[in-house]
Amino acid sequence: MIHVENLRKEFKKTIKEPGLKGSVKGLFHPKSEMIAAVDDISFHVPKGEILGFIGPNGAGKSTVIKMLTGILTPTSGSCTINGKNPTADRKKYVKEIGVVFGQRTQLWWDLPLRETYGVLKEIYEVSDKDFKKKMAFLNEVLELDDFIGSPVRTLSLGQRMRADIAASLLHSPKVLFLDEPTIGLDVVVKNNIRNAIMEINRTEKTTVILTTHDISDIELLCSRIVMVDKGKKVYDGSLDALKSKYGIMRELDFVPEEGDGFSADEFCKGVSLKGEDFKLENQNGKYKVRFNSEKMAVKDMLTYMLSKTDAKDITIRDADIEEIIRRLYKEGVDDIG
Amino acid sequence: MKKTLKIYRLLLVQNIKTLMEYRIDFLTGALSFIIDQAVGIGFIFIIFSQIPQLAGFTLEQIVFIYGFSLIPKGLDHMFTDNLWSVGYFIVQRGDFDKYLTRPIDPLFHIIAEKFQIDAAGELIMGIALVCLSAGAANVVFTPLSVLLFITAIIFASLIYTAIKIGTAALAFWIKVSGQITQVFYMTNEFAKYPTTIYSNFIRTVITYIVPFAFTGYYPCLYFLTGENPLFNIGGVVAVATVLFLIALFIWKRGLKAYESAGS
Repeated sequence: MIHVENLRKEFKKTIKEPGLKGSVKGLFHPKSEMIAAVDDISFHVPKGEILGFIGPNGAGKSTVIKMLTGILTPTSGSCTINGKNPTADRKKYVKEIGVVFGQRTQLWWDLPLRETYGVLKEIYEVSDKDFKKKMAFLNEVLELDDFIGSPVRTLSLGQRMRADIAASLLHSPKVLFLDEPTIGLDVVVKNNIRNAIMEINRTEKTTVILTTHDISDIELLCSRIVMVDKGKKVYDGSLDALKSKYGIMRELDFVPEEGDGFSADEFCKGVSLKGEDFKLENQNGKYKVRFNSEKMAVKDMLTYMLSKTDAKDITIRDADIEEIIRRLYKEGVDDIG
Repeated sequence: MKKTLKIYRLLLVQNIKTLMEYRIDFLTGALSFIIDQAVGIGFIFIIFSQIPQLAGFTLEQIVFIYGFSLIPKGLDHMFTDNLWSVGYFIVQRGDFDKYLTRPIDPLFHIIAEKFQIDAAGELIMGIALVCLSAGAANVVFTPLSVLLFITAIIFASLIYTAIKIGTAALAFWIKVSGQITQVFYMTNEFAKYPTTIYSNFIRTVITYIVPFAFTGYYPCLYFLTGENPLFNIGGVVAVATVLFLIALFIWKRGLKAYESAGS
């Protein structure tokens, strides 16, 4: 369905020296360098999959989406979707895809929503019958009825996002690209939108690629994730694989009893785990121990801890997915996948 | 083609509905235009109160040229006004993205999106001046000259559009190109008067480089004197065609260079 091979995109970046003097200097002797926003990324997506495309801000997610949707021309490498090249066959290609950018609307600012859909119906050549059916469906999942008569400029963010998603689905696209579709939305609207995505994926086998910073989006929607960082792909696989790889990490939280002479240094010395496998943090008197439960059993760690202090408020947790992702963002991935 | 026309009509109707929502904007636009033109016409009358002829042309002939030049300018203004936004902010803000994700031509989409009613002032004024001065300026309308008149108007409008497309497309590389369009566009002021009143340098510029002389003076010269139709009318067609092809070429290259904006 989607084949991305060695995709690369470079942007020219002008280097500005600080201050007014630097700006003036830059006017006469501009210096620039090429920055690779996307560097040699390859992946494949089969039909009907919901792929989560994640990574920290500025990792190159949006740039990849923009190349896949035909907005940007790749510097090198190729992407083929449904056998089509997004930039070369643009007009035919975009008819088969739906695109939503959470940060900006694709709709006409001054048109009432109903009229907007009427225009899109003609642009995408949707038949009256399909249009009616689709609108009924979208109305139901996205609850558009309340604001379908209002101009787009008067909609709230949540309404606008639902309106944008409905617009992207009107022509029954084979692939749906969602760039941060839940950004800045409340829980109710988020659920609304997730349901719509799941429904459309289930009933029409629509392939979905979405970028998000919301971990629940990933957990609820995505069967697979691709993670990028600094323009490179750092992880490609199922969420479960990521979890089981990092899931062996446990977290033990405790607060030492005052005056029992607890010393963090001494505590660390008594543990034989090294490097990644063990970490102790002090957060305002509350200690967090992260450790590899395969190398030191939870029971042993607990016994050890109790031998050192009369702790209160003891909790033991699995490292959750948010924690895993935060770690990956921070430390990068080198040994999983 | 049928689909294109249908979409154009749909967008146009929606656009006119929107206009009604912004009445104050419309009235201000229309008023400022009327003042602008009144000053222009008043200026011609002041000149002719001092001299009987200008470069061998009578007052009526000058008014004919002036009026004629307003028609293609007005037509272009009415139908392709959105091109200004491309150079000023659509590309810079990354809003061009949406035009690239729709199954219609982005250039057509941009143009169809805005209908500039303000331009009605230019058109009405232009047509009125041409009609009022034609008789006294000895312009004879025959079926052939009417046909040539319409041809000249259409291709002269294309000259405006081509200059706007070509310069707006520079924004794909330099992000904001509105001022460049402005500089080129301003030279159309020269087209309202006979080129013979200018120095050789300006005449060369407005004939061969930014060929606005073909949107006013040259075609009018044919209607006023019947001279040299090949250059005066044929020139309009040729210049407009070449310019338009160059503009489309720049536009097409620009689409590939478009860098969007971070989000």
